[in-house]
Amino acid sequence: MNQTIAKKEILPPQSKVALFYLALVLAALIWFTPVITLVLTALKDAGDFARNGAFSLPKSIRWANFGEAWETGVKNYFWNSVIVTGFKVPIGIVIESLAAFALTHMHFKWADRIFTYILIGLIVPMQMTLVPLTLLMNALGLIDTLVGLTILYIGFGVPFGVLVMRGFFRTVPVAIIEAARLDGCSWFRIFYRIALPLALPAVVSLCILDGVATWNEFILAQIFLRSDELRTLPLGLVQFSTQFATQYNQLAAAVLIAVVPIVLVFLFFQRYFVAGMGGAVK
Amino acid sequence: MASEKTATLAPRTSKSAKASDDSLRFLPWLFLAPGLAIYSVVVVYPMVYSSYLSLFRWDGVSPTKVFVGLENYGILLTQNDVFWIALRNNAIWLVAALVLPTSIGLGLAILLNSKFRGSHIFRSIFYFPAVLSLAVVGLIWTWIYHPDLGLLNQVLSAAGLKALTRNWLSDPNIALYPVIIAATWNAVGLPMLLYLAGLQTIPEELHEAAKVEGAGPVRRFLYVTFPLLRETTLVVLAITAINALKAYDIIYAMTNGGPANKTQLLSTWMYFLTYNYNQVGLGTAIAVILFSLTLVFAIPYIRFMTRKT
Repeated sequence: MNQTIAKKEILPPQSKVALFYLALVLAALIWFTPVITLVLTALKDAGDFARNGAFSLPKSIRWANFGEAWETGVKNYFWNSVIVTGFKVPIGIVIESLAAFALTHMHFKWADRIFTYILIGLIVPMQMTLVPLTLLMNALGLIDTLVGLTILYIGFGVPFGVLVMRGFFRTVPVAIIEAARLDGCSWFRIFYRIALPLALPAVVSLCILDGVATWNEFILAQIFLRSDELRTLPLGLVQFSTQFATQYNQLAAAVLIAVVPIVLVFLFFQRYFVAGMGGAVK
Repeated sequence: MASEKTATLAPRTSKSAKASDDSLRFLPWLFLAPGLAIYSVVVVYPMVYSSYLSLFRWDGVSPTKVFVGLENYGILLTQNDVFWIALRNNAIWLVAALVLPTSIGLGLAILLNSKFRGSHIFRSIFYFPAVLSLAVVGLIWTWIYHPDLGLLNQVLSAAGLKALTRNWLSDPNIALYPVIIAATWNAVGLPMLLYLAGLQTIPEELHEAAKVEGAGPVRRFLYVTFPLLRETTLVVLAITAINALKAYDIIYAMTNGGPANKTQLLSTWMYFLTYNYNQVGLGTAIAVILFSLTLVFAIPYIRFMTRKT
């Protein structure tokens, strides 16, 4: 019904529609220019790039750029990012949803205050934590380790995760939970047999948002990873760009390798981005 | 029927209610423990300790820290020129972030809210930069601004505006603005998404009614749509402001604070002072100042998020 109303509203005479599309396509093209430039550059050979600049079709497609970038270090960065994201996201989801469940359904006196306490983490500039974390990680021997970085990511992920999961748990009807209690179901069983399955879309959303954020994180990686072979992608790419400043085609290929997993996730799970952000402001 | 059910359930209810009361004394804490523990150690304790360290003169290495009270703050405010450059840049960045991504996001959301053929593709295109890391966004735009090979100068030359071409990221007077444009490209997606969600909650009948009353599209926007997006706008402005003050990676990737420290932000200058110049006291003092600025925008936001519904 909504659809037909909307259609009626925006389907004026033909020429107007054509103009609307033309303007929109033009805007979208301009908006996407940086991405198009990136792809075109990644496919060129160095001479072509130097002669014709970034924004022209490649004379011949040079796939070797990707292989060379991969072998020059991107391989390491890529797998480091996979490892850190692969551990951070699932562990984070478990502890965040446990906490969010307690805050939404296990009515206890301190729930509101704890939630506020956790929300503070959303607004803290990273700089506020760097020096003490450096001391702490040094003392624990976790500087320059992927384990240490993953632990930090899990800690910094708690506020957003709790916020999103709480938003969704609040939509689980209290009646269902009370009914389960009456049937003698333990709180833990209610959590993983009832609340979590009902919040599955939220879990998927959070996995995606969190995965993207972890994949993209820069400053903590910059401070706490020192050796080149441990670098994650964003950090490695910036490093790569200073080392291979003139080899734009390889650098573009490296950036593209870093971006492709994000693009795939974005294409396949797009609606979950919306759902996840919706959960965050509910 | 209802009363019969209640009657049979009554004894069990009271019993289990009592049981759950007992379990609820410690069980919630068990659920909260892992999250609270790691969050407190990784985020909260360092925050508190940073504030404490900002009262000392310390190089980060030597065993003795000299207590100097608020001296670090005094030094920043009176003797540290780059601090003022950074503060000014943060202010410019903040204003730009509150105006550009929010208004572009709102405009796109209104444009793309109606379902027409291809609207989803356009939404994806305009949202896409938001999923890229700021380091990557910085790298891509660095090429666009490249003095010889960059697209921007090439387009300007081709359009006969060669006089306007310049070395965008090396000109100390303007270098901050190209970075802000690049950051805006990345920052538009989130407001767009939030506004799209907000627009979904406005009943179509309201627009129809306003139309019947003879209100044109502009008046409908001003008197129907925008007032109903008040809550969304509050969230959007708060989140954009908080994110703007967090900006760091993109500066690092594009200008590294240069030329001549002209594009430092408080966040990057904190890093320089702490990790390049070993001025831990000054660095943590900047972090505290940055956090206080964030609080101005964050307190209304947090109150909104924790409101009773």
